[in-house]
Amino acid sequence: MISNTIQFVHNNKIFKIKNPDPNKTILDFIRNDLKKTGTKEGCAEGGCGACTVVLGELKEKKIIYKSINSCISFLPIIDQKQLILIENLSVQKNKLHPIQNAMVKFHGSQCGFCTPGFVMSMFAMYKNFSNFNDETINETLSGNLCRCTGYRPIIDAAKSLNSKNHDDHFKKNEKKIVNLLKQIKERDIEISYKDRKYFAPKSLSNLKKIIKENHNTKFLNGGTDLSLEVTKERGDIKKIISLNSVKELKFVKITKNFIEVGSGVSLYEFQNLIKSYYSDFYNILKRYGSVQIRNVGTLGGNIVTASPIGDSLPLLLSLDSKIKIQTLKKIITIPLNEFFLSYRKTKLKKREFLYSIKIPINKQNHFKAYKISRRFDDDISSVCASFNFLIKKNVIVKANIAYGGMSEIPKRAYTIEKALINSTFSEETFFKAKNLIDKDFSPIDDMRASKNYRVDVAKNLIMKFFYEVSNKKNLRVNS
Amino acid sequence: MKSNHIFSRNLSHDSGNKHVSGLAEYTDDINEPLNTLYGAIGWSKKAHAKIKKIDLNDVIKSEGVNAIVTHLDIPGRNDVGPVFDGDPIFPVSKVEYYGQPLFAVAATSTELARKAVLKAKIVYQELKPIISIDEALDKNNLLFKPRIIKKGDPVKKIAKSKNRLTGKFTTGSQEHFYLEGQVALVIPREDNNFLVYSSTQHPSETQQIISKMLNQKSNSVDVMVRRIGGGFGGKETNFITSAICSLLSHKTKKPIKLRLDRDDDMIITGKRHDFFSDYEVGFNDDGRINGLKLKLASRCGMSPDLSLAINERALLHIDNAYFLKDIEVKNYLCKTNTASSTAFRGFGGNQGMMAIENILDNISRYLKKDPADVRKINFYGKKNKNITHYGMKIKDNVINELFEELKSKSDYKNRVKKIDNYNKKNKFRKKGIAITPVKFGISFTTIHLNQAGALVHIYTDGSVHMNHGGIEMGQGTHTKIAQLVSHALGLPYERVQISATNTSKVPNTSASAASSTTDLNGAATLNAVSKIKSNLNNFIKKKYKIFSKIEPTYKNGNILIGNRVFDFNYIVKEAYLNRVSLSSSGFYSTPKINFNKKTFKGRPFYYFCYGSAVTEVTIDTLTGESTLDRVDILQDAGNAINPALEYGQIEGGFVQGQGWLTMEEVVWEKDGKIKTYSPSTYKIPAVTDIPKIFNVEIFKDGLNIEKVVNKAKTTGEPPLMLAMSVFFAIKDAIASISNHKRIPELDAPATAEKILLSIKKLKNII
Repeated sequence: MISNTIQFVHNNKIFKIKNPDPNKTILDFIRNDLKKTGTKEGCAEGGCGACTVVLGELKEKKIIYKSINSCISFLPIIDQKQLILIENLSVQKNKLHPIQNAMVKFHGSQCGFCTPGFVMSMFAMYKNFSNFNDETINETLSGNLCRCTGYRPIIDAAKSLNSKNHDDHFKKNEKKIVNLLKQIKERDIEISYKDRKYFAPKSLSNLKKIIKENHNTKFLNGGTDLSLEVTKERGDIKKIISLNSVKELKFVKITKNFIEVGSGVSLYEFQNLIKSYYSDFYNILKRYGSVQIRNVGTLGGNIVTASPIGDSLPLLLSLDSKIKIQTLKKIITIPLNEFFLSYRKTKLKKREFLYSIKIPINKQNHFKAYKISRRFDDDISSVCASFNFLIKKNVIVKANIAYGGMSEIPKRAYTIEKALINSTFSEETFFKAKNLIDKDFSPIDDMRASKNYRVDVAKNLIMKFFYEVSNKKNLRVNS
Repeated sequence: MKSNHIFSRNLSHDSGNKHVSGLAEYTDDINEPLNTLYGAIGWSKKAHAKIKKIDLNDVIKSEGVNAIVTHLDIPGRNDVGPVFDGDPIFPVSKVEYYGQPLFAVAATSTELARKAVLKAKIVYQELKPIISIDEALDKNNLLFKPRIIKKGDPVKKIAKSKNRLTGKFTTGSQEHFYLEGQVALVIPREDNNFLVYSSTQHPSETQQIISKMLNQKSNSVDVMVRRIGGGFGGKETNFITSAICSLLSHKTKKPIKLRLDRDDDMIITGKRHDFFSDYEVGFNDDGRINGLKLKLASRCGMSPDLSLAINERALLHIDNAYFLKDIEVKNYLCKTNTASSTAFRGFGGNQGMMAIENILDNISRYLKKDPADVRKINFYGKKNKNITHYGMKIKDNVINELFEELKSKSDYKNRVKKIDNYNKKNKFRKKGIAITPVKFGISFTTIHLNQAGALVHIYTDGSVHMNHGGIEMGQGTHTKIAQLVSHALGLPYERVQISATNTSKVPNTSASAASSTTDLNGAATLNAVSKIKSNLNNFIKKKYKIFSKIEPTYKNGNILIGNRVFDFNYIVKEAYLNRVSLSSSGFYSTPKINFNKKTFKGRPFYYFCYGSAVTEVTIDTLTGESTLDRVDILQDAGNAINPALEYGQIEGGFVQGQGWLTMEEVVWEKDGKIKTYSPSTYKIPAVTDIPKIFNVEIFKDGLNIEKVVNKAKTTGEPPLMLAMSVFFAIKDAIASISNHKRIPELDAPATAEKILLSIKKLKNII
């Protein structure tokens, strides 16, 4: 079944929009079509959180609440979801939601412009967790910027909600919303708006068919990067094929030796999956964008974007990850290492897309990753380094080192690796090896860091890895 | 000591409920009229160039475009400069910074307008740009002649001193990053009048700038502002958005909305001044400064804007809390091809204070003394050593006791020892601690700006309508002034209706700036209230034949005279029926202040705010990363009207200052192109950057000795400077690598990169 009409639940009703503009953002729709002005635009790039709204998604008869940046999400992605806005939180005037009450009581708003976004981020947390610690609160709020308060009252407001009974009007209404969401049938979406097209197939086979029949298309796999072509560069994207609707790309497979995730798995889901295998991978992912970004962004999207920094990429590289590329005919497996060709160029040919990512599990390895950025959370790293070592009887058997931010593509430090392999695991070994960094990398100056700093830090992180492994503890200021 | 006329009550922000429900209306949220068009600005892609040709043919043809404006469409003054000319709305022949507006369009949607401006074809003849302070000093590219202020004979004193130090120091620029960007909605009305909604801290000047641009009288332009989504100085003189919006409305005769997106906002509008200082100081063995000679230069951008006043405030705060008997400062206002640097919380004061704090820090490290002791020995005294370098006698000094109280409350001495121990045991992580004072002068240093007006009505049902010239930008000025009004009238707070700031209700107002908004407008509002009360009092006494001279008191909805009690609502209605006025304007001008800008002498400040902070940090010696472990603050807020709101200002100001001195860095390319113009490239502190332990207190003995409303002291700008302690704690941590034997070289902002570089330099000399 194919439909040109997106359907979603809002205000306890099913909304239907026939052939919406696929380049229109959810924020634009909210402010200019729904005429609801509580949701604000702060930056139009998902960097400040003022535009945060929550999407309710049906999962096994329950609703999962996801905060997203409405400023960089195209409207069609709300198909089959519940759209929750700041205006929906208070049932009536003078009857605030517990979150809103807490924000007022703790003086969490000053100029008030960022406030709706904070409230919505907190709302998703409040609905998804029965209990939240400081770490969860920090993670929840790190994608929302406030320039007035200094955050303390906002954090206090969030903390105060922990003890609250979480039965709000959304809880009371849940059955009704579930029923409404169930009424929206699974179907492929195909939108035509002027000269723009948007496809959201549900199955791999339909996806392939669409790819075959359409030329000059762009894949949307999360779209936190793609949307900037519209919101920042003022471009038009004529044909979009969404991979996010394809069920087969959302799988997770875990065996004794590897984890395999479909390219459509969200970064938020992935971070929680990888946590017990590689804790530093989790630590780095938690600093990747914000919850709003990771709810939408995918591991597959991160890889295909091929950013020189792309914080998961050095980690995946050092772990000897493999990727599966789906062509129209078959699936090809290649090491991720061979995928990146030059600045934002990959081996992916036209009409091919990423099917999955396979990450080996090696429990006896030492895996550590470091992200150096101007700001701890929600920043792009100036240097990201990842180490995956096997040390036997004080001899380095395996030494995988990969860097982001040091070259036009994320890549391995082969010269240094070579110097380390079969050497004794000692300070001296590492001290010598680190000076080979110039052989592998010649980074550039930009607004995030200078070339010299990048080189210095890249070297020092090699030492840091050594000290941390030999001391059996992390030596970081922010842990 | 507390008088009956003052009170203190925690109350949520008047718009709190609306903020959290999305119902608080900002300029972009106003339901625009049906025929509204939307604007966008086309700006220069060169920092310094002659404009050879502006070809807008493709712009005009672009989808949805209705009109274009260039400098040719301006009937009056083509400038938005608040004090001096130099900020053309659209330059005629030469562009002076990357991002300078050149033309604007009105189209059927914001999206189409923004797409259209990209189609302009502009031919430039490039000129060499001057971007940095160094280049400007080198080429003597200055906005004004260098200014020298001098007291005593510093050269002689330095020469005679046992110890001497010289050095150079820089503090960086800072982007305001108000969450609500620049926006205006202009609606044309009959008689060529315009109603202007604008996100501005300065409606009266907006009105003047627009009317001068249109060659009309001020009475033809009304400016209205209910609230703005943050200002921090960035909306004090940035009139370009509302001016261009009005010009488009003037040309099309239609309502226009012009909202800059974040990139345009950060590229087009000015930021904080970077400052460079070059000093020579002579001092005793105990750290007492004998003489100081300083060169102070700032990056002002392409025009004067407020740079003269900002540099003046830097000169007026070069002493911070220290008695400097012999001092000479030579001040350079560098003209650069960057957006005109403008007001930003602190307004030069913070940059001047960082210069002296850096000197004191270096003196302490040179003498191997605790910087807290060296700071203290230089403090102003109460009975002597209490005359500033501009000749003002300080009468309200509490810095000594405040500093001591904080030192003891924060356990400073013990923690210094603990940190020493920690540093001996840890090689890759080092801790540092610093305590710094703040003394900040309150009043506009341009004396005539220290005035305010208000308008208060009481309606026949006893409800109160309050209006004044101050702008609500998050600080809670409306809340606090409504509290003052409710207290003065003895009515519940809810009875006072706050209304949008409006140039047709209260004229000729000053900007909501210089931390003075509540002081000035609160006093003007109380003046209006007292006039109405006087009408009511006279009426009651006459009507009820009360001959007592006792002033009636207003309490709990009643008016009390002696043992007579009158219901407020009843009296109001009676007064109306007896034709007594229930409405009044109010006015206030700050007393006692005077300042001669030429001789640099006088009393520019009505009072001073004092505060102090202790910060403990940990740095990573391998990466340069830093983190705030603990911050203790003691801030003098006088008798705060609403302490809850003051805490908000103190903490928020501190974190903003922390950003300025650590992670926030504006980066320009050599050709003048700004590289940091969005949250992805310019980082302000986020939730995990704030201190892990954050103890904030208001100084209990605080009371304003001057007749400021409620005996309060403002907390607008002063708390920003508390963050100086962050910078010097980081420097302390770096110094520990040399066992405190060397003085680290560190400029602000102390980014991870600068910290690692400082460590590297230090390691090279030890």
